Amino acid sequence: MATVNGCNLPEDLYYLVEKHVWAKPLGGGLVRVGITSVAAKLSGGKLAALTVKAKNIGQEVKQSKSIATVESSKFVGPVPAPISGILLRANDKLVSDPNIAIADPYGEGWVAEIQASDWDGEVGLLVTGAAGVAAYQAKLVAENISCS
Amino acid sequence: MADDKVMIIMTSGPDTPRRCATPFFFASLAAAMEYEVVMFFTIDGTLLLKKGMAETVVPKAGGKPVSDFIQDAIDAGVTFLACTASTELHDLQPSDLIDGVKMVGGASMWQIAEDCKTVLTF
Repeated sequence: MATVNGCNLPEDLYYLVEKHVWAKPLGGGLVRVGITSVAAKLSGGKLAALTVKAKNIGQEVKQSKSIATVESSKFVGPVPAPISGILLRANDKLVSDPNIAIADPYGEGWVAEIQASDWDGEVGLLVTGAAGVAAYQAKLVAENISCS
Repeated sequence: MADDKVMIIMTSGPDTPRRCATPFFFASLAAAMEYEVVMFFTIDGTLLLKKGMAETVVPKAGGKPVSDFIQDAIDAGVTFLACTASTELHDLQPSDLIDGVKMVGGASMWQIAEDCKTVLTF
């Protein structure tokens, strides 16, 4: 577990840094995805809704394309897919309490699960491990983003 | 490539501040959902595009001015179209409007509406 600029960034996840989303391989090509603590901070810290686009479930989604939206009183924005694949299911818990994604973004607050179509081909665009967290930290420093 | 195209027709203006934030919020939201989003301004809606005007329109006391909601929509990639006739209604020149607004006639509105999956009017 690493904390940079007050943002919790576990080293075992894969990050699409530009989009503030993470991916975690669960085996067999299944990948769980969610928003990072940085996205939680940037969205204002309290969500009114986190909605996975229902039309996308069961469909192919492309890396970096929006699979969900976050809404707060001060912000609205996309949750892009960190990898391409079939969007298998959304985390239903977020419907009744979107703020789980803020309080526990890497645990109970995951957003969706994707059957990756080209993990090996796309993982190069993601960062992970100590080097990945360092790359993420460089972005936070460059953009003066802090979670504390 | 956007999934679908949607349009928001904005007729509300500075006289009704509380009607002036949500349309931009909905536009930004639609863009975040990968829709291609057009906002068509006519009647009093066009006044919100007059340089300096939206900064003075505040839907909620102590809250953000409409200009912030407009900027969020622009940043999200929403296209702004202004009805030529409505600028004449308010004696506005195209140069009086904020940057990035395209002037079109009413016939364009009909053609865009026909292409759109959903049209909302505020």
